[in-house]
Amino acid sequence: MHEFLLGSYFIELDWMTVGQVILLGFIGGTLSGFIGSGGAFFMTPGMMNLGVPGPVAVASNITHKFGKAMIGSREHGKMGHVDKKLAVFMLVTAALGINLAVWVMKLMFSDAGGHGHHSRGAGADLYISLVFSGVLILVSVSMLRDIIKSRKTQDSTPSRKIIDFLNKLNLHPMISFPVADVKVSLWVILICGLATGYLAGTIGVGGFIGVPAMIYVFGISSQVAAGTELFLAMFMGAYGALNFALQGMVDLRLTLMLYLGSLVGIHLGVYGTKVVREVIIRLVTSLIILLCVISRMIAIPVYMRKLGYIAYPSDLDVYFNMGSKALLYISGIGGMLMILFFVFKAYFQRRKVSASLVSSRQGAS
Amino acid sequence: MQIICISRGTFSGGKKLAEALAEKLGFDCLAREELTDMATASGIPVGKLEMTVVRRRPMTEAMIIERERYKAFVTSVLCERARSRGLVYHGRTGHLVLPGVTHVLRLRAILDPEQRVLSAMDRLRLSREKAQSYINDVDEDRHRWVRTLYNADWKDPTSYDLVVNLSHMSVENAATALVSMAQLPEFQATPATKQKIDDLLLASRCRLALGSDPRSRDMDVKVRSDGGIVSVTYLPRHEGKAELIPEVLATVPDVNEVLCTMASTNVLWIQGKFDPQSESLEQIVDIATRWNAAVELMEIKDEEEPASPAPESLTPEQKSDAGFPYSSENGGILDDEAFDYETELDEGLRKTRQRLISAGRAGGYRVLKGCPKDVLSSIDRTVDYNLVVVGDLCPSKGSSVSKRRTQEMVSYLLDNMHVPVIEASEMKSQFMFGPAQFMKLLGFAAMVVIMVFGVMSHQKDVLEFISKGTCLFSACEEVGMSNRILSALAIALFVPVFAFCYGGFTRFIFRILRFD
Repeated sequence: MHEFLLGSYFIELDWMTVGQVILLGFIGGTLSGFIGSGGAFFMTPGMMNLGVPGPVAVASNITHKFGKAMIGSREHGKMGHVDKKLAVFMLVTAALGINLAVWVMKLMFSDAGGHGHHSRGAGADLYISLVFSGVLILVSVSMLRDIIKSRKTQDSTPSRKIIDFLNKLNLHPMISFPVADVKVSLWVILICGLATGYLAGTIGVGGFIGVPAMIYVFGISSQVAAGTELFLAMFMGAYGALNFALQGMVDLRLTLMLYLGSLVGIHLGVYGTKVVREVIIRLVTSLIILLCVISRMIAIPVYMRKLGYIAYPSDLDVYFNMGSKALLYISGIGGMLMILFFVFKAYFQRRKVSASLVSSRQGAS
Repeated sequence: MQIICISRGTFSGGKKLAEALAEKLGFDCLAREELTDMATASGIPVGKLEMTVVRRRPMTEAMIIERERYKAFVTSVLCERARSRGLVYHGRTGHLVLPGVTHVLRLRAILDPEQRVLSAMDRLRLSREKAQSYINDVDEDRHRWVRTLYNADWKDPTSYDLVVNLSHMSVENAATALVSMAQLPEFQATPATKQKIDDLLLASRCRLALGSDPRSRDMDVKVRSDGGIVSVTYLPRHEGKAELIPEVLATVPDVNEVLCTMASTNVLWIQGKFDPQSESLEQIVDIATRWNAAVELMEIKDEEEPASPAPESLTPEQKSDAGFPYSSENGGILDDEAFDYETELDEGLRKTRQRLISAGRAGGYRVLKGCPKDVLSSIDRTVDYNLVVVGDLCPSKGSSVSKRRTQEMVSYLLDNMHVPVIEASEMKSQFMFGPAQFMKLLGFAAMVVIMVFGVMSHQKDVLEFISKGTCLFSACEEVGMSNRILSALAIALFVPVFAFCYGGFTRFIFRILRFD
């Protein structure tokens, strides 16, 4: 077990832990660059598996996301992929959502004592794990269903059922967003914004809700969704980071280590999106999320035992933790290896590409 | 060979106006509905395409190919009709299918919303609410159609030469007024616009030929033609079928040469005069190779060059074919001469093109004369450009004017294209790696090392500073809110600065590794 600095908030970092956090950042960054959002679904539980208390893991991750989103949204802005009007509409409710999440988390973290040093924060951990599992299992199963369905219809694009349903309802007032080229009901925007903010504040996985919401509920293109989400994430991240920082929960060391890995991974992941077909991107994404969720679910009995909800010999905790950790690493490392395979395959094929160009041109002329 | 395109909403009187105008001018009148029937008869699933757009389903790969076939079909029919005699076309997007053909008279017919509702109620026997809803829905569908097919805003008045409001003017009187407008020199064909129509026709025929052949039907290709030289760009996944392209296009008349380039994306290079020895050319080749992009060249001739006299070589038939007598008071329209692509291409452009061909990065070329708006209207907005590079424009006018024109062009395209637009001089700093970038890399690396070392070597101090329950400057036991705010602000400042420095460092490293 790790030593804690300054009470029970911050773990002591040795070289091995530093290496593991950088690796988590790299894997999260690669997934984030490839999938277009998140990465937190891997990094948050990954840090928790290293012994970092849940709220500190979320706080460090959301702070890391803030700087990353700032750089990313600037790049997307150059491409015209940021709908600032939509972002402003979502921002207000998302801020409320984050505030609510931070308040709930603080409540759980402070009430979780009473079961000894090691169980402190188990309530918060259980809460985060349950929300994490519930939400992401919904996202991954929906994505997989969409892909399986698309194999039958030869249509590899996202389902439009929700958008068609909401269009029929025609809930006024409808707001027009020129950059995203959509009209969306104000109420739908507010609900999605609140949910995005709450989840970002709770599990640090706002993008995984925000981007699919924009694609599946608002009906905007995936590029504009990713760009707008990053713009939104910049403010949400700043707000979340400030809130967590005011509570003293941000571990700056972890944030820096995450950056060291993630910014390298993001470059590789983004390169991957240029060379891999969309259906494969979505398949890889949903499988990774599903494995990650199962990994978190395996750890839930440990938190429940610590809180006294269930009883079993505490010796078994180590196996649950080990199983959870193993599956998390399998999902993350497996996903990362798949992505890197596509990336390097495309990278080393460039010489071959040039050769084939010459021969086809000779054939043409 | 005059072309008038009328864009119309439902129940806006555009159809009647088009018919009246065609009758007065003695031109053919072609409706979008006829064109759609012809396209469907030729095997293009226009109905399915429309449903995809109307239901707001994102385009599948198969639908993108059908969309391109449909656009090619529309272009080919309009160009063929326009070549034989004058044409009035009325539909949704006539003004967009002929990019670069400057003599098209582009009109939009509108009507008071109340009159549109009354017409819909009368003709469709609907209640007021339903009629209003019907008109709104159809307008929305058409807006979406134009956006999907041409990435343009249907309602943007700057896309039209004239917006005709038929609310207080009869169709007959509006048509009479438009006959005079149609006589203006700006709307007469010139050798250059005729050449442009020939190019569009040949490109669309080639695209249709590739779409009709079962072997190449599923290929996602972009086709351009410049004086009989056909440039085809195809995606890397169609590499195995690339050799079929010249084989299929061999059956298309007037094709002199086929140039196939495999590309995932495109780079547009706009320049006043191309220099094959310039540093920019090698930089663009390097970027295009890294990105697997095709480079499209666009040479902008100086629009303020002295006007040329009417071409002597034109026969009286050719002159009358233009639909307006050539004269010295023709608004300078004859400045716009056609290019003989074999002999009149300037050496710089020809050699630059040859260099791109030898690098396997050629994506076609064109020569234009005009302002930034003309440049924008000649660009196919559905082409996936990853970068637009603007080199020196108007080089003959001196460096100050050239710099100003270049910056104006960059600003205008940046506002309207939603892709990165840079000056050629910026390529080195943005995409290449030289001594300046090396110094920046070192600077970023130093900052990162200092920040990481600072935090990791003073872990306890840093954590005390950022955590609640500690004081900043002394060993006091009480926690002040000001300390918390101070630590939160310090994190909020420190984190983006670190992200910026480390982001810059990794960006340069990946640039060195040619990983972008």
